[in-house]
Amino acid sequence: MKTSGIIMMILMLGLVWGGFLYCLILTARRGRS
Amino acid sequence: MAKGIGYQGEPDIEREMAKTREYFSSRWGLVLTALGMAVGTGNVWRFPRVAAANGGGAFLIAWLLFMMTWSVPLVIAEFVIGKRARQGPAGALGQLIGKKYNWMGAFVGLCTCFIMFYYSVVTGWCLKYVLLSATTGFPEDPETFWKAFTRTGHWEPILFHLLAMMAACGIVSRGIVSGIERTNRILIPLLFLLLIGAALRAVTLPGAVTGLNYLFTPDWRQLAHYRIWLEALSQSAWSVGAGWGLILTYAVYMREREDVVLSSFTVGFGDYAASLLAGIAVICTVFAVLPQTEALRALGAGNQGLTFIWIPRLFSRIPAGRFFLSVFFLALSFAAISSLIAMVELAARMLIDLGMTRRRAVPLVGLIGFSLGLPSAYSLRIFDNQDWVWGLGLTVSGFFIAFAVIKFGAGRFRRELINTPYEPYPVGRWYEFVMARLIPLEFAALITWWFYQAITVYDPEGWWNPFHAFSVGTCLLQWGILIVVLMMVNRQWAHRVFELAEA
Repeated sequence: MKTSGIIMMILMLGLVWGGFLYCLILTARRGRS
Repeated sequence: MAKGIGYQGEPDIEREMAKTREYFSSRWGLVLTALGMAVGTGNVWRFPRVAAANGGGAFLIAWLLFMMTWSVPLVIAEFVIGKRARQGPAGALGQLIGKKYNWMGAFVGLCTCFIMFYYSVVTGWCLKYVLLSATTGFPEDPETFWKAFTRTGHWEPILFHLLAMMAACGIVSRGIVSGIERTNRILIPLLFLLLIGAALRAVTLPGAVTGLNYLFTPDWRQLAHYRIWLEALSQSAWSVGAGWGLILTYAVYMREREDVVLSSFTVGFGDYAASLLAGIAVICTVFAVLPQTEALRALGAGNQGLTFIWIPRLFSRIPAGRFFLSVFFLALSFAAISSLIAMVELAARMLIDLGMTRRRAVPLVGLIGFSLGLPSAYSLRIFDNQDWVWGLGLTVSGFFIAFAVIKFGAGRFRRELINTPYEPYPVGRWYEFVMARLIPLEFAALITWWFYQAITVYDPEGWWNPFHAFSVGTCLLQWGILIVVLMMVNRQWAHRVFELAEA
């Protein structure tokens, strides 16, 4: 796989999935409403 | 006249309960239900195709940018407007900016209802394909099968459209917590698991790396082309579902102390995360199984062609293909049904706001939804026309939501309605700039671009003709009729929903 492709894959998956998981963790921390 | 009230301290719980009767049982219930609305067929069948056709990595950058400059800001606005008004879109926009603008909210709601009529047909196709892949399997040539299945007048799409509508109405009729929330609590985690399974299978196929290269390797020159930006904006707008009135409807059942910013970002990131998984699953499988020229032909076959013709072909060529084909169509069905549920709830909410009980409103929505979806189930040509007209109409809906925020005052909206004492993650002034400046600009660019496509590519000869499927004329005629009718009944509609809200 091309280096730029690997960098972009890590960047995209990191940002999008990282953002999603971070939001889920914050939601869990805020607990039941 | 706009009421213009901002945050006023502790809510009057009795008043709130009288208006809505039901709330989501927990924050997770709300987030999973909102995710169910956002993740739909567009994530699975449109994103992989559009991302692959528009420069892969370069497209992804533009797509990510529009999450912050279109989708998430509009989702925040919808959450706030619905939570404040405790009414569906028709009454909610009127409450925010005045009765004379009630028709704008009604347009937002009815545009999504028109989508529901044919989206139920799509959900029916998905259910048929789940059944087929899990039982007898596909015939030798999926293309012949698809053409026979969707030929004009065939009874099967009508039957599955009926089943889809009955399933969605059955769930919505059980109410917010027992019906909608409970279903999404099961469907959405399963949907993500199925997508993760499909993506893992795809990346472990020999040759899958070609697909990963195609999806992620950026062609920077593409960023200089306006087409990439407009395709990315269109994908973000249609995928997240911001500005359609669906989040606004779910927000009616949020508790007063519930914050909106975190939930909005969860919806945005969750929708994008599902798209990336679907993109990896589809594109890696396409490139692993087919030579490059044929792979590009498959990805260029349109939403229906890629999903219902090429996917069965591809999965028949991989080990345990039939099992993974069932997984794919099950994920697609879950995505479709969770979005259809949101649309049925929106339509039911609009009737409830006019004084009907849920018990009566939901069967009526089912009856109307089935009847008005029949033409799309009967003929693909009518389906395509409705998808073109009301799909593009959603950008108008997004603009109307932004207009409401601008009319109310973007700064005041941010300070008084978003950044309440219940909000642990207040938004900054960037929000005002996006709502007041960028979204109107993006809307203008989107409408111009898609009309330009109709005039130059889809129908250069008859772009003005309102009876052509993909013309500018058909959009203007159908939107125009709806807007004129809504403006004519605006006074009575507004009077009715405001009277009931006050009661």
